[in-house]
Amino acid sequence: MSKPRVAFFDFACCEGCQLQVANFGEALLDVLKLIDVVEFREVMSEKSNEKYDIAIVEGSITTNHDIERIKKIRNTAKVLIAYGSCATIGGVNGMKNNFPLEKIKKYVYNKDANYFDTIATKAVHQVVKVDYFVHGCPIYQPEFIEVLKSALRGLPYKVPDYSVCVECKLNENECMYDKGITCLGPITRAGCNSWCINNGNICYGCRGMVTNPAKNAQMDVLDKYKIPLDWIKNKINMYNKAGEQAPEEK
Amino acid sequence: MKRVDLKESEYIVKPATIIKAKPMTALEKFFEIELDSGASLDHEPGQFVMVSIPGAGDAPISVSSSPTKRSSFDLVVRNAGKLTGVMHRLNAGDKIDIRGPFGRGFPIRILEGNDLLFVAGGLGIVPLRSLINFVIDNRRDFGRVNILLGCKTPSDMLFGDEVEQWGQRLDVNFNCTVDKSDPDWKGNVGLITSLIPGVNLDAEKTFGVVVGPPVMYKFVIKELLNKDIPARQILVSLERHMKCGVGKCGHCQIGNYYCCQDGPVFTYEEIKDNIEAL
Amino acid sequence: MKQFKILEKKDFPQFIKRLSKKHKVVAPVSRGNKSYAFTQVDSSDQIAMKYIPTILPPKKYFMPQRETLAQYNKSKKTFQTVLEFEELVIFGVHTCDLAGIQCLNIVFSDTPKDINYIARKNRILIIGLECNDYCDEYASCKVMDSHHPNGGYDLFFTELKESFIVHVNTLEGEGIIELTGLFKEATSNHLKEREGVIAAKKKIFKDEVDVHYKDLKPMFDKSAGSKVWEDLEKRCLSCGNCTNVCPTCYCFDIIDEINLDLDTGYRIRQWDSCQNEDFAKVAGGESFREERGQRQRHRYMRKFSYPVERYARHFCTGCGRCSRTCMAKINLKETINALAKENR
Repeated sequence: MSKPRVAFFDFACCEGCQLQVANFGEALLDVLKLIDVVEFREVMSEKSNEKYDIAIVEGSITTNHDIERIKKIRNTAKVLIAYGSCATIGGVNGMKNNFPLEKIKKYVYNKDANYFDTIATKAVHQVVKVDYFVHGCPIYQPEFIEVLKSALRGLPYKVPDYSVCVECKLNENECMYDKGITCLGPITRAGCNSWCINNGNICYGCRGMVTNPAKNAQMDVLDKYKIPLDWIKNKINMYNKAGEQAPEEK
Repeated sequence: MKRVDLKESEYIVKPATIIKAKPMTALEKFFEIELDSGASLDHEPGQFVMVSIPGAGDAPISVSSSPTKRSSFDLVVRNAGKLTGVMHRLNAGDKIDIRGPFGRGFPIRILEGNDLLFVAGGLGIVPLRSLINFVIDNRRDFGRVNILLGCKTPSDMLFGDEVEQWGQRLDVNFNCTVDKSDPDWKGNVGLITSLIPGVNLDAEKTFGVVVGPPVMYKFVIKELLNKDIPARQILVSLERHMKCGVGKCGHCQIGNYYCCQDGPVFTYEEIKDNIEAL
Repeated sequence: MKQFKILEKKDFPQFIKRLSKKHKVVAPVSRGNKSYAFTQVDSSDQIAMKYIPTILPPKKYFMPQRETLAQYNKSKKTFQTVLEFEELVIFGVHTCDLAGIQCLNIVFSDTPKDINYIARKNRILIIGLECNDYCDEYASCKVMDSHHPNGGYDLFFTELKESFIVHVNTLEGEGIIELTGLFKEATSNHLKEREGVIAAKKKIFKDEVDVHYKDLKPMFDKSAGSKVWEDLEKRCLSCGNCTNVCPTCYCFDIIDEINLDLDTGYRIRQWDSCQNEDFAKVAGGESFREERGQRQRHRYMRKFSYPVERYARHFCTGCGRCSRTCMAKINLKETINALAKENR
């Protein structure tokens, strides 16, 4: 059986997730035994000439041109994997949606604003069908490999629908809240093996929220730890704003 | 951390071969399976096995054939998850692994000599078929037999040919209904509960055996109680999520019962005060 | 009274040093502000002798968070069940955690036996450590009768003024005494001092809830429609912390992992929680405990009712971990008292 042809694409992003893939180390050699990489801007100059089986897409959709391009990729690829927060939930690009589009356009491009086509930030699945998601900013390498293995075998990959706290407890980390630090672990879906907290950082919610985050109970928690609602809202907005459209111009 | 082979474990699998496979509906596929050891599965009607495919995991599947069929057994698999998705790609000659049979099946020794009223809704026919065929194969050991069958539409009906044969038998009373008819359907239309009042039965010596989707039980049981069938003579088979099959993992717990060990077959008497059961 | 030995406090560093030369020793080690974890040690100054219950109980050594149950090779058509184990001495196990391990022993020895658990347990030596005072306000070990030792250890240390008095409970425990060569016989003075500690504990440890031990099960059995669960429904985040830190929770999931050759791999058992969204969901999508209040009730019933019926034992050790770790400050003592109040 010939190896599936895999193409990596990027949209609005920092290309950090590509770097994560390029930095797989030894596992990269094993991965390359399974797939034929035909396009990957960060590591090679060859192009796929629109012949690929699996498209692995980084970045969010932020222009009308992006919409056309991702639709074309979707039409060509048998399987589409969205990877990295920008692609899976909009990520930091979603912060743009906090502001009216025209206002933010002017703020960024000033007098040249009219030359730039921009739309409210969208995650890839808000535009085309996505078969697999690898959440995270950046992606957690072991999860990317799990997803790739699932895709190659045609099996579903289920992103855990429980919170990062579950994995964090299993890793026996001291709770950030006990240190007096606000952390988004309780509402963020797991799958990263509480990577950030294991390394002394907080959870920024880069994987998106669990499906049933118990909003009222969360409010109680904030109340108890005397955390202002705005703090947590701002933290959530950092990655999770693309779920909402930009507010109307006032 | 050291790792050694274990010769004894609840997680040892028995290699098996699919000897027949055919799609039944858009979602269900039928499999006939033989253990590679040549041994019989030796299950009780109503028990289940864990089907295992290395790399895809394992999942509980009811045995659908009667233990009177010795050399092989039948499974009906709905494509609803990782393992069952892989199962649907398999065909005759392919290998799978089996753990079990597990659980408490239907109490055949207690049912013997009594009248039986089978009520199967939707996929409920799959586990119930193991008991119905067992009873038909040992017809003289049982009293009157009534079979009531219900499904969503005529095209959802499983085991159509076999069901037709049950209907033609003189020693079985058979009736079925669909929720939604199609132009070719000549039978009843309506919920399965509507068939129960019309059944002529001797409540004292009748066992009601009910298997169907979770929503069905309350309504069917109510009708059976209306017929004066005692709670201890109403048998149900409950569906729960199972991971281990050996009463440890906790997923299938119904109150204090482990569905995989204490069930899946329960009498209504056993579960009527258990708020997690129905 | 020959089974009591004495270890002078000044000899304690040497004890850990000698023990850890021969065995892998794990003991409570500080992990930040008021958090502790059982961690490998080779010196006594790493050990937190005065500690509140560790983040995870020692169950992590008996049923690890992740454990390989089998390894397979698809092309060779092999599926081999395996045991992963480690020879280990756990030092400093509080009586509540000894009780927790006893609960797990009961579950995994019940038919059908879990060979992986039992084989692993047989390779772990346990050295208990008496609590002469409460850990903190979350503990309810007195009402659960686990504030004093009820067996389940090889050696048991009780701190006296100048020394530890050590109860030798097993041959393996005696092996440690001989190996380290630091223990002497207890004198009647030592035994008297120990009696004093026990008497003092009687004054400190009082029932922490308004319900008698014996009335807990009937109270929970009657609680199905209680407002208390409605309250927990509103408060619980279902983060699963309470079950993951519980010394007697043992629910697990089984998953298959495959290597990058897409041919060989492992069947893995990993901890799972009845608080998680998908825990009781069947293939058809129906969840049998959709509401957080139902899940919380289930958790409590698995401590105070179901195991009492099945194994004649409460599966709460009063360690207080679930309350200490709860993001929403759901407190076991408060839940029990609220139910008791409803009953009055």
